[in-house]
Amino acid sequence: MSGRRWYRTAGRYATLTVLALMFVFPLYMMVVNSLLPPEQLLKKANFWVSPGDALWGGYSTAWNDGHIGEYLGNSVVVTTLIVAGQVVTAVLAAYAFAFLDFPLKRTLFVVFLTTMMIPFEVVFFVNLDTITDFGDLPLVGDYVGFDTYGGLALPFLATGFGAFLVRQAFLSLPRDLRDAAALDGYGHFRFLTRVAIPLARPSIAALGLFAFFGAWNQYLWPLVASTEDHRTVQVGLGFVSEGSVDQVNVAFAALVLASIPLFVLLIVFQKQLVRGLTAGAVKG
Amino acid sequence: MRPMRWLPLVLAVALVAGGCGGGDDDDDTSTDDTSTDDTSTDDTSTDGTAASGDDDAAEVDPSLCPVDALTDADKPVEIEYWHAMTRANEEELIRLTDEFNASQSDVRVTLSASPSYPENLTRYTAGLSTDELPDLYQGEETNLQLLIDSQSIVPAAACIAAADYDTSGIIEGVLTRYTVEGIQYAMPFNVSNPILYYNKTAFTAAGLDPEAPPTTLEEVRETSQAIVDSGVATHGISFKTDAWFTEQWMAKAGEEYVNNGNGRDARATAVAFDNETGLALYTWLSDMEKDGLLVSTGTGDLEHYVAIPNNESAMTIDSSAALGTIFQLFDQGQYANVDLGAAPMPGPASADGGVLVGGASNYVVNRSSDAEQAAAWKFAEFLADEQTQSEWAAATGYIPIREASTTISPLVERWVEQPELKVAYDQLLAGADNLATAGPVLGPAGARGEGMRGAVIDAIAAMFAEGLPPEDALAQATEGSNEAIEDYNDRVG
Repeated sequence: MSGRRWYRTAGRYATLTVLALMFVFPLYMMVVNSLLPPEQLLKKANFWVSPGDALWGGYSTAWNDGHIGEYLGNSVVVTTLIVAGQVVTAVLAAYAFAFLDFPLKRTLFVVFLTTMMIPFEVVFFVNLDTITDFGDLPLVGDYVGFDTYGGLALPFLATGFGAFLVRQAFLSLPRDLRDAAALDGYGHFRFLTRVAIPLARPSIAALGLFAFFGAWNQYLWPLVASTEDHRTVQVGLGFVSEGSVDQVNVAFAALVLASIPLFVLLIVFQKQLVRGLTAGAVKG
Repeated sequence: MRPMRWLPLVLAVALVAGGCGGGDDDDDTSTDDTSTDDTSTDDTSTDGTAASGDDDAAEVDPSLCPVDALTDADKPVEIEYWHAMTRANEEELIRLTDEFNASQSDVRVTLSASPSYPENLTRYTAGLSTDELPDLYQGEETNLQLLIDSQSIVPAAACIAAADYDTSGIIEGVLTRYTVEGIQYAMPFNVSNPILYYNKTAFTAAGLDPEAPPTTLEEVRETSQAIVDSGVATHGISFKTDAWFTEQWMAKAGEEYVNNGNGRDARATAVAFDNETGLALYTWLSDMEKDGLLVSTGTGDLEHYVAIPNNESAMTIDSSAALGTIFQLFDQGQYANVDLGAAPMPGPASADGGVLVGGASNYVVNRSSDAEQAAAWKFAEFLADEQTQSEWAAATGYIPIREASTTISPLVERWVEQPELKVAYDQLLAGADNLATAGPVLGPAGARGEGMRGAVIDAIAAMFAEGLPPEDALAQATEGSNEAIEDYNDRVG
């Protein structure tokens, strides 16, 4: 029997290795292409660059002339705002829907959920109008208007999806916990922060990651709702790659730079990620 | 209860989204921002000549353009210019803008860049609903009808009349390109057109005269055959699937691409390319491909060039806007097998034909204050100025819009240094001057995946990939285009 198990393990690893190579290959090519001289890139595909021949100039060009560093900074700010906003609003809304009783609760929840079915394109112009008008508000106008970090983040601070995801996690907590906490004198806030949130952490982490990738990869909204000063990295990449037949390496270097934060995040949050993946499987 | 059973799925989706994140918007490392345009060479413009172009001044109310508002305004008047120039082109535009700002104290121009023309248009159309608009906008020539229909632009003709601006030095075809129903709507700025890039080394090796590249489609076929027969390259020509070229070929044949005088006498209601000439073009493409003389490189912006150093082809066609870069690239000694040449775009030869004007032009936006409109016009004038155009063309490879710009420094020296840059200019001047060479004007001009060009690209791609017979491809392109036109016209009313 142990022979068969060995087989299985070997098969599993072989499959995983092939899959891993498939996923890593484009990333590998991205790095190789960023280090080759541009005219070499016009020849047939190069799969290898010897360290001695590597041209690092593409990176400094992308960083300095392509302003990738500034764009990354802008992306980090906007993405952080969006992730924080989504997590906070989702947790609070989910708590209300999971633990509180109030009139029209079910109806409201359904209304909440229906927002998931409205594509962003549908409300695009309305949102653009809104942030543009907000720009005229006293005091806050400079922070939430057109071409501001706030304006870039505002339409994405709350989502029906987030509330739904966290609510489901909250609902899976045993009712007894709530009662026990109440006996210990926990009010809503303490129960939320000390019991509910820690227990629902995998879901909240998943939401955070989901929000992060969504925010980080946005293109149309930041393109239209901002200018140079607040340009995010995805829009910035468009500039670096356009009209660059002679500087293909710079475009690839910019891509590598732009994906570094994603790698860092993946490595740092690997545990949460895996836990999030398995959370539902072990115990419902 | 296991409410989270689907969580892995969600995460998988999130991860996939993340994986693409680094890469999505960059895949077209393109060379030419202009390749999506067309336009014409043709007619006359302000002073009244060709079918569509003239008498602007007579037909437009000069008061639409408050050029005098600058006099009483608080100075400097700050304006914003939205453009889609990147890289070297953007650098030169910044330099020119700084020069303009430093040269006078009435107007301060701030540049706001978009990564490409379509994105510039996206920003503009989004701004229509919020009034976050520039004062001056650089629009690709295919934007023309759409911008007219947006009712957000000041016709250039109004400014020309109001400012008593002399357009006689500007190449007439370029002006007519932006003229619809007798009114010139935009001020020309950067002009390009498609040319033939060919490998002289391959020509010589195949026993062809490297100084006599093909000028007609029949000659392209013969040349390709000779190249393939000699084994110098696996195909004669590498072809990027782009609707622009079919528009150019129809214009070179002296035929209109859409009805109602290419949309310039009245709004276009249908395409006009579903005729013998159109069929001949599609058939030529299809036969060339079937016979292995043409290699289709898809819609990518690079592949058709790359085919040349890789000996997959010895010729290709694309925008002159990329010429400087392409020559520089192939000239670095990396490719012993390539000695690049440039020549006019081969195609149907007709006395009534010519290449279309590609590129972009500047639109004054009427949502701005009077002073801003006046300031925007002043900058548009500067960009079209003789000296500016000479510097602009020398630095970028675009065609100067004024003949006089070709006689002054730095363009004179630049053209001596790189004579190929002159090819597109000569080709433009050689064309006839009429509605056919003015090029089609229509709302849904489209691009890959949308509108008329989307339909044409799909049809050509189906011909190459699925062996769709040319008749059927032409019918498909016609039908798709007409649907788009009908749909657009219905919405615009």
